[in-house]
Amino acid sequence: MKLLIIEDEKGLRDNITVYFNEDGNICESCDCLACAIDKLSNYDYDCILLDIGLHDGEGFAVLDFLKEQQKNETVLIISARNSLDDKLKGLNLGADDYLTKPFHLAELKARVVAIYRRKAFNTNSKLVFNEVSIDLLGRTVEVNNTPVILTRKEYDMLLYFIANKGKVISKNAIAEHLWGDEMDMHDNFDFIYTHVKNLRRKLLDAKSKDYLKSVYGIGYKFMAE
Amino acid sequence: MKLSAHYSKASIIITISVLVAGGIIYFFTINKLGRTQLDRDLAEEFEEVVNYVNLNGKLPNQVEFDEDQTVFIKTKDTNLPLRFFDTVYNNPKEKKPEPGRAVAGLIMLKGEHYKVIITESREGTEYLIQLIGIITLILTVCLLLVLLITNRYILNGLWKPFYDTLNKLKAFNISDSQGFSANQNKVDEFNELNEVVQTMSKRIKNDYRHLKQFTENASHEMMTPLAVITSKLDTLIQDESLKPEQLDQINDIYSAAGKLSRLNQSLLLLLKIENNLVDDSELLSLDELINQKVRQFHELIVDKNLQVNGFLDNKQITASKYLVDILLNNLFSNAIRHNYNYGSLMITLTNDKLIFQNTGPEKPLDVDNLFGRFQKGQKSEGTGLGLTIVKNICNLYHWDIDYSFEKGMHIFEIRF
Repeated sequence: MKLLIIEDEKGLRDNITVYFNEDGNICESCDCLACAIDKLSNYDYDCILLDIGLHDGEGFAVLDFLKEQQKNETVLIISARNSLDDKLKGLNLGADDYLTKPFHLAELKARVVAIYRRKAFNTNSKLVFNEVSIDLLGRTVEVNNTPVILTRKEYDMLLYFIANKGKVISKNAIAEHLWGDEMDMHDNFDFIYTHVKNLRRKLLDAKSKDYLKSVYGIGYKFMAE
Repeated sequence: MKLSAHYSKASIIITISVLVAGGIIYFFTINKLGRTQLDRDLAEEFEEVVNYVNLNGKLPNQVEFDEDQTVFIKTKDTNLPLRFFDTVYNNPKEKKPEPGRAVAGLIMLKGEHYKVIITESREGTEYLIQLIGIITLILTVCLLLVLLITNRYILNGLWKPFYDTLNKLKAFNISDSQGFSANQNKVDEFNELNEVVQTMSKRIKNDYRHLKQFTENASHEMMTPLAVITSKLDTLIQDESLKPEQLDQINDIYSAAGKLSRLNQSLLLLLKIENNLVDDSELLSLDELINQKVRQFHELIVDKNLQVNGFLDNKQITASKYLVDILLNNLFSNAIRHNYNYGSLMITLTNDKLIFQNTGPEKPLDVDNLFGRFQKGQKSEGTGLGLTIVKNICNLYHWDIDYSFEKGMHIFEIRF
């Protein structure tokens, strides 16, 4: 996947680039509206991460440009503004998703993978990871052609892990992904343990390899191999 | 009371009191005048009697002085000054007593003293007074009618531009794009009022816009560094050489960054609510939303082994889904977080109230400061803004919220 990251905060831009660069992605980045337009008129990308609040203008201009040029990149807006107006405006202008800062990189990755998959593999609704096969439309999971019955949360968690395979994901990030950050249950993430444990047991019962690994105190890692 | 009513009231009171005072003065003046006239007549009569006696040397015949009644009484008094007084006059024709006026005096005939009393009817004067009274009354009624009609039609017409302005002010919504506009009218004061209101509304709109911008800018400025912290941490934990102690430290930074972000979001949300920036109201089915929340919090409820009971009637409310969501989130997370294992949570929804009852610490919360900013329990890891947000959302929709502690249950009650 070829990505363009348009973000004027260097620290954030670098981290996103590093996080996405593994896993066979190619990341390019720029920090202003003008250079973004410049890059977009010369190259094609699969996905664009777009910060709305750039120092030389609003990121919405990029969406206008894409529309004018009839380019087909998927766009994910990352904005510091948690405003419904902005969100609706962005989505109306052709963005595919809207993520509010601050966010976990794992969340960003999961969202990007999801919108890219939606756009790129319109016909193919199967996601295959080694022996695990997921029917995205039917929301069903099979391991070695044996159906595995997962709860809604376990299913979401599995997708989240696969999107971030090979990465350590913090418990905070998992909780926020599954329950939303408005749930305000930050002081206790222990209950996540139960859900991860259940998911792992169900996969193991279906004779999959043991992909889920606990990382001391901080979270979990879905092994890539 | 309306201005025209106030005005009518005042003018009616003044009119009535002036007319009543006028009537009283009339009454006394006419009375006085009539009496003086009568007294003069009586004195003349007396004079005539004296002359008659002096001329004829005998008492006059009683009926000789037309309508007046004259009485002669022999008396031994030698000194009796002329005296006028009110008395009863017996009308010989109509055979009934009438108010009368009399004069008493002393005359001397052939060495003997006689007391003379001449009585005259006062009927004429009384009649005059009655007539004047009736005329005054008719005048009063006419004047009142005229005043009422004038007040109703002319005053209301005059004040119409004022009420127009008032209605426009009532309908004024700060978040509307169009400003306050008023028609030109012929009363200078109202034109001036409209101008002032127009200037004011423009200024308010401007301030409001600035505030909105500030809210968004503040959000942006604080959220970006937070996003940097979070992403750095997300990258840092990928390092496999980290030792458990270091991971513990990172965990703490995660918590602090998360808390800071929530705090920031809560403050911005409060700002938004207080400035009425959230205006996406829609018709919501509250019981459905609560059921949804129970499902959303299912894992946490199971984790604490809580017993959840819901008694939910159908209830529709018009509010922002976003805010109601936050309201329920905060109530739910409080009721779950401050609960103990195997505790209970009871939610009751009726047409006019929503009640959350949960078990928890055996001590009632501090009611006075409960909804204040940054008030939280000692063990709470929350932002201390949750209940403030709840309270503000309730205020926004004019709902009342109360806390009470009964039989070990913490009770939050919202009345719609």
